Amino acid sequence: MFEEASEVFDNMFKSSFPLTFIVFIPAVLILVSPLPAEAAHEFTVYRMQQYDLQGQPYGTRNAILNTEARTVEAEVLSRRCVIMRLVDFSYERYQKALRQSAGAVVIILPKNMSTMPQDIVQQFMELEPEMLATETIVPVYFALEDEELLSIYTQTLTSSSSQGSSSAAEVLIHTATANGFQMVTSGAQSKAVSDWAITSLEGRLAGTGGEDLPTIVLVAHYDSFGVAPWLSYGADSNGSGVSMLLELARLFSRLYTYKRTHAGYNLLFFVSGGGKFNYQGTKRWLEDNLDHTDSSLLQDNVAFVLCLDTLGNGDSLHLHVSKPPKEGTAQYALLKELETVASSQYPEVKFSMVHKKINLADDTLAWEHERFGIRRLPAFTLSHLNSHREVQRSSIMDVRPHVDLRKLSRNTKLIAESLARVIYNLTEKGAPGDLQIFTEQMMQEEQLSSVVDWLTAQPRAAQLVDKDSSVVSTLEYHLGRYLKDVRRHYVKADKRDPEFVFYDQLKQTMNAYRVKPAIFDLLLAFCIAAYLGVIYLAIQHFVVLYSVVRRITTPKTKQH
Amino acid sequence: MTLFHFGNCFALAYFPYFITYKCSGLSEYNAFWRCVQAGATYLFVQLCKMLFLATFFPTWEGGAGVYDFVGEFMKATVDLADLLGLHLVMSRNAGKGEYKIMVAAMGWATAELVMSRCIPLWVGARGIEFDWKYIQMSFDSNISLVHYIAMAAVVWMFTRYDLPKSFRLPVTVLLGLCVYKAFLMELFVHVFLLGSWTALLVKAVLTGSISLCSLFLFVTLVHSN
Repeated sequence: MFEEASEVFDNMFKSSFPLTFIVFIPAVLILVSPLPAEAAHEFTVYRMQQYDLQGQPYGTRNAILNTEARTVEAEVLSRRCVIMRLVDFSYERYQKALRQSAGAVVIILPKNMSTMPQDIVQQFMELEPEMLATETIVPVYFALEDEELLSIYTQTLTSSSSQGSSSAAEVLIHTATANGFQMVTSGAQSKAVSDWAITSLEGRLAGTGGEDLPTIVLVAHYDSFGVAPWLSYGADSNGSGVSMLLELARLFSRLYTYKRTHAGYNLLFFVSGGGKFNYQGTKRWLEDNLDHTDSSLLQDNVAFVLCLDTLGNGDSLHLHVSKPPKEGTAQYALLKELETVASSQYPEVKFSMVHKKINLADDTLAWEHERFGIRRLPAFTLSHLNSHREVQRSSIMDVRPHVDLRKLSRNTKLIAESLARVIYNLTEKGAPGDLQIFTEQMMQEEQLSSVVDWLTAQPRAAQLVDKDSSVVSTLEYHLGRYLKDVRRHYVKADKRDPEFVFYDQLKQTMNAYRVKPAIFDLLLAFCIAAYLGVIYLAIQHFVVLYSVVRRITTPKTKQH
Repeated sequence: MTLFHFGNCFALAYFPYFITYKCSGLSEYNAFWRCVQAGATYLFVQLCKMLFLATFFPTWEGGAGVYDFVGEFMKATVDLADLLGLHLVMSRNAGKGEYKIMVAAMGWATAELVMSRCIPLWVGARGIEFDWKYIQMSFDSNISLVHYIAMAAVVWMFTRYDLPKSFRLPVTVLLGLCVYKAFLMELFVHVFLLGSWTALLVKAVLTGSISLCSLFLFVTLVHSN
């Protein structure tokens, strides 16, 4: 047959030249074409944090993976992708995977975090900083669970846990029927993002009655932090602080519109970025205002700086200070007013002052007021958390249900009342402790709720919010409705000695391909060879069948 | 090992054709070029069928789960053109009945293999993802070979002038079965909700029975003289 084929091809070549092109060029093109593959399942995965802060690297260093999937129970984990569910996740298992030099770790989170039992949530929150503290070369990904992913997990679980426990025959059968999965990410290796600008916003309400008025600064950072940037929604920390800041801006701008209620204090509102990365936004803003400008509200007469951080829940309020305020200062006045209002109007709130000295030897600062304290500005932070080390401040579990709207609204009212008493000097004028300045109609709980809902609807990690982001522009618009002179402020890392470095490839598409082990292909080849052998024999002896049929049919015709 | 898997599927699909060509004695008759011509006729007939279907049959706008029996039946009727094509090929080849049948069937089936199976195998079986459907596709091509041989034999018998009257009816019935076999298979799968392996088995049994009947008729016809 091959001689005839070659004859035919010879004729083809000699007779018509274009025919060869028509036949061969498509054949060559098809042979070298790249292979688009269809996956059993394609899903989005979110990478663990990767950043450098003050030269120290944190988080995972790698982004690409192309390995076979296993669960933790399997014996051989090296160069495999270990899949874990949140309910089975524990630090020992994580460490075990890393110790056996696994290729990657994928943690499956439930779609709705609030369905998880509290102790698992709490345990995971405590593990997050530990996972980030150790620098891992292995890429760690988080995926949200859906049905196909769950079925992939259960199949991998059954195949992983049955390894090494059965006889040779069982292993053979198992090989033929097993379904392995190959996990492949589509992106490139992660690299540092250059020229990332962290945006902060400021706006002011000018006081009345002459020049050189004292200034009150209200600060809240809007970014969020968690073990995976795309999953950090930061509801309580610090979505609650930002929404409270916007509400205070609205209230005081209403008061400042009328001449009667226009007070003699300048109010400066600052929504800072990069708060979770050692308050980069605030740091650069202070440098620009104090070192590089001739005149700024911050230079002249600052009464105090109040930072709002995590105020959406809880029944206690802590005023964190780095130096206890001296009597006779505006700081002290605010402290006293807060105590008064809390005790007389909101007895369920336990208010206290927490004194913590600034420790410059620490890697990062504790609260935002410490940035101001370093520059000798009187500052404190108000929070319902007792310590800055609480894990709730930097967890992906901090989602919208963590914010109790009534408590947030109550805290907002408390702070608004105390600020008003300081600004209008009400205690000296003899106003009683339970005088309510802001009536019920003035406090708009729906607006507070919608701001919190909007803030927690998207991840606000500092690596994801650039200067064109909708979060920044919406905040700018919001501030512009109530405040004057709304300005943006950008922070870029220094070129030679960067304070912070962010990396990209934080969200990837992962494909899970169904694969069979290599033995299976050999097994299949044997079976096909056997089948072809049988076919060959059948065709060779087709004559036998023919003669049988003939013998069956000829007696019939003889009978006719 | 995915190229290996493609090799497996390709071997499973193509080797029976190769073996049939070798062992049926066609190579002694220099039939390669004639088989290629039969393949070209197959292409031409498929092209005409596609144009016809596209022009005269509107797209079915019903729900996704409803199976359009009448529409699919009409479309299957267009497959009568296959019979005409086979007849055309066989009439152009001079020689014994068996020679004509084998040449026509080999060329036709090989063209179908190349056109409808090679590219899915190349694109699909080479990927990382494993699916049983490629092995099933290769088995299906084996079954198609037997089916086309039977179909060519039945067409040849239908056009013989010396066909006895009593054979007319069985031959016509077999002819109808050949044409509507694909439609019947889809019907079975839809009504009985067969799995893919079971459907393949049913198809094999159906084709086997059709080819056995046509073999009986053929032997009776050839050796009744």
